[in-house]
Amino acid sequence: MSKNLPRTLALAVTGLFLLYPLWGLASPVGHWQWAAADTGSALTTSFALTGVALVIVVAIGTPLAFSLRGASRGVRIAFEATVLLSVLMPPLALGLLLALAFGPGTALGSLLLRLGIPTSNDATAFVVTQIYASLGYYLLGAAAAFDAVPRELERAAALLGLKPHEILWRVTLPLARLGLAAAVSLAWVRALGEFGAIMVTAYYPHGIPVQLWVDLQDSGLPAVLPLLLVFLLSALPLPWALRILARTRNHA
Amino acid sequence: MLDCRIHKARRAYDVTVDIVADAERLALFGPSGSGKSTVLSCLAGLETPDAGYIHCDGETWFPPPLALHRRSIGYLSQREALFPHLSVAENVQFSLDAAARDSARAWIDEIRERLNLATLWHTRPHHLSGGQTRRVALARTLCRRPRLVLLDEPFAGLDRPLVRELAAILKEWQERLRFTLLAVDHDPLVLEGLCPRVIALEEGRVIQRGDWSELARTPATPTLRALLDPRL
Repeated sequence: MSKNLPRTLALAVTGLFLLYPLWGLASPVGHWQWAAADTGSALTTSFALTGVALVIVVAIGTPLAFSLRGASRGVRIAFEATVLLSVLMPPLALGLLLALAFGPGTALGSLLLRLGIPTSNDATAFVVTQIYASLGYYLLGAAAAFDAVPRELERAAALLGLKPHEILWRVTLPLARLGLAAAVSLAWVRALGEFGAIMVTAYYPHGIPVQLWVDLQDSGLPAVLPLLLVFLLSALPLPWALRILARTRNHA
Repeated sequence: MLDCRIHKARRAYDVTVDIVADAERLALFGPSGSGKSTVLSCLAGLETPDAGYIHCDGETWFPPPLALHRRSIGYLSQREALFPHLSVAENVQFSLDAAARDSARAWIDEIRERLNLATLWHTRPHHLSGGQTRRVALARTLCRRPRLVLLDEPFAGLDRPLVRELAAILKEWQERLRFTLLAVDHDPLVLEGLCPRVIALEEGRVIQRGDWSELARTPATPTLRALLDPRL
């Protein structure tokens, strides 16, 4: 018996378990209905706005996660508790709290409205909600990725005459690459699939999760399943490619 | 030329050491905890002395403390940190930018051949043995042409023939490049093979200076005598 057999079996069984819900796509729910206009619009909304949110999350989260390494233990524990609180928040509750905190009843909400910045049912509200939903996940993943880089390698680079920013580019980021790719993937999936919070703060414009809900209400499963299939096929390439790229570079 | 006086407070006792060395190989010898590694760390910039001064080839490294990356040093220890995401070639040339690599091509080739790294040149560090890892680390240090080389027990765990080979290479290149070399090791035979002159430390203080035969003839303390015992 090959010594790889147990591992292969375990991977295969787990893979089948994870993919099994897709068997539902083959259920006899009737002829699939294709609302091309709504689908295209929902896809564009979801991918464009999630892309914007992801860029902001990575731009804010990466330096913040890196700076956590140098923070004192107390600061780090307090900050991680804050991040965990945002991650643990049920999505619907997050949406309700965002709607209240950025609503016209608060000083910030009324100020934003006076400045002409809509705080609900708008692309801005959509992106802000996605940032709230995904930033915590990215920070936790990125901080773990940076923590995994051995300090002695950075010290060795400094002893070889590299400046701090050169050490970051040539040692820290390349070695944290795989973990950072996982964090980006997680943030992407979390933001793209956000439903509960978006439902409250940005029902319009419809992203794919909300469109799935609308289609289910209006037309039933025959309208939901094709959109779901398109969603899965189009959402997968980015996180998958990122992981493959990071792994390839790490083992090149 | 290295001219330094390092004072660093420690929990057990303070370390106070004066060193003057000019393009030579000098050993720091003493029992565990005598302050040898503290001196190397202060010279490298990994620790900051509490008082004193460090001058190297006309530059002041302390005070104020000069940033780590601005000190022209090579630092070799027993835990050689090769970069796992880079090949041997990239590790060796790590300290050189693209322009410097082009101008130092002949120099890099010479180091590669002298340290027998040609067949390992495109290998990743995780495929290397302990001895090969030390050779790559040594090549990486020499590639930078440092003015001060600090050795913190870099030969620990290696067999005698390999230690002799690496020590011979170090001596040869020190004489060519005329850098100052400070070596710390628990084994007096290793140090004697590498460094003609020695500074003996005990509890953070210099207790004796001289060559190895002087130390062997008249060791300053019973502890030093015991440490030198295998060769007496």
